[in-house]
Amino acid sequence: MELIADRITKQYKNKIAVDRMSFTLTKGVTGLLGANGAGKTTLMRLLCGILNPDSGTVSCDGMGVGTEEYRDILGYLPQDFGYYPEFSGKDFLFYMSAVKGLTKKDADRKTKELIELVGLGDSAGKKVRTYSGGMRQRLGIAQALLNDPQILIMDEPTAGLDPQERIRFRKLISGLGREKIVLLSTHIVSDLEHIADRLMIMKDGQLLWQGSRSAGGEDLEAFYISKIGEKR
Amino acid sequence: MDNGSIIEHLKEICRTPEPEEKKAFFQGLEERGLTSRRPEVINYGDFLLRQFFYVGKWIWLLAAILLLCIAGICYGNTGNYPFALTSLLAVGILVETGRSFRWKMAELEYTARFSLRSVMLARMFLVGVVETAGLMVVILVVRPWFSYSLIRVFLYMMVPYLSASLSGSVYERKNRSDNGWGSIIICFLSSGFFAAVPYCLSTLYEERFTVIWTVVFILLILSLVVSVHRWICELEEPVWNL
Repeated sequence: MELIADRITKQYKNKIAVDRMSFTLTKGVTGLLGANGAGKTTLMRLLCGILNPDSGTVSCDGMGVGTEEYRDILGYLPQDFGYYPEFSGKDFLFYMSAVKGLTKKDADRKTKELIELVGLGDSAGKKVRTYSGGMRQRLGIAQALLNDPQILIMDEPTAGLDPQERIRFRKLISGLGREKIVLLSTHIVSDLEHIADRLMIMKDGQLLWQGSRSAGGEDLEAFYISKIGEKR
Repeated sequence: MDNGSIIEHLKEICRTPEPEEKKAFFQGLEERGLTSRRPEVINYGDFLLRQFFYVGKWIWLLAAILLLCIAGICYGNTGNYPFALTSLLAVGILVETGRSFRWKMAELEYTARFSLRSVMLARMFLVGVVETAGLMVVILVVRPWFSYSLIRVFLYMMVPYLSASLSGSVYERKNRSDNGWGSIIICFLSSGFFAAVPYCLSTLYEERFTVIWTVVFILLILSLVVSVHRWICELEEPVWNL
């Protein structure tokens, strides 16, 4: 399975958020690095079909990103998401299961499984509004996995997670990356050091560099800073 | 050898041998997640049914209170202005459409199999159907208190409701707001307009104008369908272009 972006561009009034980006994502974890405002969120929204590119195309094995079939194999964690006020953690997952089209039986099974996986077993029945930022983020990760996605796109997934939760998250993502296309964006280089197979570095809407994680050498942070400093 | 024996003999010759390690093969597929990469998916009917329980409780409460008020006011007054109250029923349907945005669930819903469009349509449909059904019951209850025929009471009740729904949907499409205040104001304005009509243009409620009410009713239904369709189609770029 391949997710192909071909010369995609997205412009907001006088700002080009994504500028003629082309790349192919395959199975494994791809880290998208870039400072705040580099265009990471816009790129992710383009890959999820939330935004339409002004030019260029995004497709996955011939499927357009606007299709039901594509959404069926997609798991997405936005940077900022909410919840209906009456929801408990479990209700939230049940609701997301319903919009993802899971049967009640599957929803029940996956909800139980994922609540345990993200370590929310004790607080599943509590209202989401009482959750800490890290707990909400874990809940978001769980909803992205509900439909056993083949493509997992996560925008700043480690935001709000404490160091222990980050380690747990990295382990989880490493495991998922073996079977799925995983793209995760971050501006924290250390999040990707041990889990990314490939890296993409963005600046001002442009793809500065893409390649294997190993090409980044031992000190990924220094590599990132050197790339960001380079002029195209 | 008769035909029956020949058939049996052929069956015996052509019998497929039991595959060896069949069980192990399927177990292997299961372990590698290849038997059902995607779990079974619910159909639109099930989706609609499950959305019913996610419509805000206050929407049903508001609808119930308004329907009771309409029935109560009609009981006390046989004038034409109680019909204007049905415009307020549209508040629920219009405010419910903004719920996903209000609670920042829209982006998550957009990327799900049943996309945000399906979620919004399902909620509009459910609230619309329940409110209309409730209104039908009220119409049947209040009909004996008026000197009008059932069809006329139906038209006088439905036209303000549809007008408010149509104006609200056009407003929400052009100026989407998370809190829905614009739609609430539109519903009240529509209600005020239909409350004033019996005083300013009382002749409109005469039997000879029933045809006009019928035409307006049909036009409103058609316009509402077109407006909702356009709203759903446009529910894309402007929402996310921050």
